[in-house]
Amino acid sequence: MLRVVVADDSRVMRQIVIRTLRQAGYDWEISEAADGELALDLITAEQPDLVLSDWNMPNMTGIDLLNALRARGDDVPFGFVTSEGAPEMREQAEAAGALFLIAKPFSADSFRQVIDPVLA
Amino acid sequence: MNSLPALVAVQIVAIAEEVFAAMVDGEPGHLVPWAEGPVTFADPVHAWVEMNVELGGRVLLTTDAGTADDLARALLGMDAGEPVSEADLVDAFGEVANVVGGNLKALLPVQGKLTIPAVSRKSPSAAGAVPIDEVALAWRGRPLVISVWMIEKEG
Repeated sequence: MLRVVVADDSRVMRQIVIRTLRQAGYDWEISEAADGELALDLITAEQPDLVLSDWNMPNMTGIDLLNALRARGDDVPFGFVTSEGAPEMREQAEAAGALFLIAKPFSADSFRQVIDPVLA
Repeated sequence: MNSLPALVAVQIVAIAEEVFAAMVDGEPGHLVPWAEGPVTFADPVHAWVEMNVELGGRVLLTTDAGTADDLARALLGMDAGEPVSEADLVDAFGEVANVVGGNLKALLPVQGKLTIPAVSRKSPSAAGAVPIDEVALAWRGRPLVISVWMIEKEG
């Protein structure tokens, strides 16, 4: 079973992301982090198979989290789930090493379209 | 020049409808234009995000606390009448403002930083705030107003 970290400062949004993952058919073991800093600790401790992260979070943003992981040589597969869906943000995410960016609002279909190719 | 005036009511409505259909209701048709005259709120609660785009801007959502409770119930998959904590109300209504604001910002030619959402019974500071546009909507028959503001920074 894949182990996934979902990082978002909104508990409501974490719940929606987890619910949507299940609706998309992904039966994964999920751990939650309430900001980027906590996510960094959790990822370091758990070495998950995938990270799904919000962009705007207190303490450490999602892009800072990704940069911190890559700076320490951690190549964990990383995707953003964020309300920041502009092309400029997508380019920034890709340049930092993100595999995908899912813009909120999303659906189970949009999760599958983006995540299935990554799993293949 | 500030690009916020480029955000017009039709875009605000389109984005709000998409956000509510996908995130809140799971289907379209529950958020429609308000058609019952002037909007008044008996117990208003406000949620907003700001964006640092050139001069700065704010996307503000206002509704009644009871409606915000129902928004939280819808987002959290709670039963009707199930008690909603203040933390869940703040989280849920703030996240709706975050997603609406983030999608509106994505339409702007220049991107900037989006703030963490704020939720309060008091409306945000009017200092330097210039209204750009406002739409009155009805979510499941109850009013929800979305307004976009330009924020002129001091100095």
